[in-house]
Amino acid sequence: MPEAADLEQRLVLLRAEIDWPATPELAGRVRARIAASAPAPARRPWFQHRWALAAVAVLVVLAALIAYTPSREAIASWINLHTIFTRVNQLPTPSPLPSGPLGKRLGLGDPTTLDQAQSKVSWHIVVPASLGRPDEVYVQLPPEGPPQGEVTLVYKSRPGLKTAGETGVAVLITEANGTVDTQMFGKMLGEGTTLEEVAVNGHKGYWISGQPHIFFFIDASGQFRMETMRLATNTLIIDDNGTVIRIEGDLTKTQALEIAASLS
Amino acid sequence: MEGRPTDGDLFARAQRGNEAAYEEIVQRYQQVAFRTAYVITGSAAEAEDAAQEGFVKAYRALATFRPGAEPRPWLLRIVANEARNRVRSAGRRHQLELRVAERFRPGDAAPSPEAAAVAAEDHTWLLGLVNQLSDEDRLVISSRYLLELSGEETAAALGIPEGTVKSRLSRALARLRRRVEEGAGA
Repeated sequence: MPEAADLEQRLVLLRAEIDWPATPELAGRVRARIAASAPAPARRPWFQHRWALAAVAVLVVLAALIAYTPSREAIASWINLHTIFTRVNQLPTPSPLPSGPLGKRLGLGDPTTLDQAQSKVSWHIVVPASLGRPDEVYVQLPPEGPPQGEVTLVYKSRPGLKTAGETGVAVLITEANGTVDTQMFGKMLGEGTTLEEVAVNGHKGYWISGQPHIFFFIDASGQFRMETMRLATNTLIIDDNGTVIRIEGDLTKTQALEIAASLS
Repeated sequence: MEGRPTDGDLFARAQRGNEAAYEEIVQRYQQVAFRTAYVITGSAAEAEDAAQEGFVKAYRALATFRPGAEPRPWLLRIVANEARNRVRSAGRRHQLELRVAERFRPGDAAPSPEAAAVAAEDHTWLLGLVNQLSDEDRLVISSRYLLELSGEETAAALGIPEGTVKSRLSRALARLRRRVEEGAGA
């Protein structure tokens, strides 16, 4: 009976004997294509494109915020992005929030319940025991959402948890099938953000502090997917064996890790 | 002595818009990229298109390549992604038919014609069993053993987390081993 090593050894020997189709000469063709398609050397068009999107997203949020801001002073304070997102507690009295569900305004998809959301996605939706049941649940299905959908749990502020900006939301937990690619998103975080690897219940996690605006992951179909960080606050990303979980909120690292550790 | 530029040098130059440097990168990695795409699509024509498209996309995404990172997994992930998209949009995968090369090696000191024939037959038989595996099993075994990809590269080629590669590989090997044993006993 062949031993394990024996089979592997035979596969290694087989390697040298494979009759691969001839590798086409791609280098010249690729160079011709990039020279033809790119305006001058393509200096980070991809990067700029993503940031353009992120910038548009920020402008849209700003426009929406300004629309509800009562005074010129408040508008002036909004224009300073760092003030908005990092010093939320020092802002003037919050302006009245538009009516309607919290998550609806953040473009999280369709409002639903935990049970209904669970029936629409293949993975087990995890909920943090430390926060209890979410105030609102949203599901975003394709084409707007990733191939196997995305579920977001919304938590309003509660004792010990601040609201993030004037969104009315304290914590957002977003779950989708996929994997994290740190090479991709680490590079795109921008200045003023730091990325730190952490461990959460034996899974790999990434603590991003600062004002991250966009995030990349590889979705269930293997495609890179860019998502806008809804709150642009400190964020904890967890790669939970095929599910990417994102915890956004005006949280300290300890708070975020506590929430993450209580996910089940 | 003038050495050839390292991958790091080439990527740094390509990131500054140097197309010649990127051409050199493609030159270095086109074989492994093409073969990986071939294992995924099962078609040389599809693999050629996927690899070409993947390299063009990778050029446009160069800003996201972190200096000092390993280029192979980064490139393979993009090319394999492209190959999988093609399989998906075509709705089916071509049946992969890897073959054993027929070689004449006049200079080789083969042990004996009989031994060489037995070895060739053994390779052909084993490769036939690999070809018959499910897509998932064949892909992981081909990536790891026939393409000689690392764990990280295999994860990139399969679009799965690196932690999953080991368990998937050991299951695939167990199934292949069963077929080998059944075949040997028959």
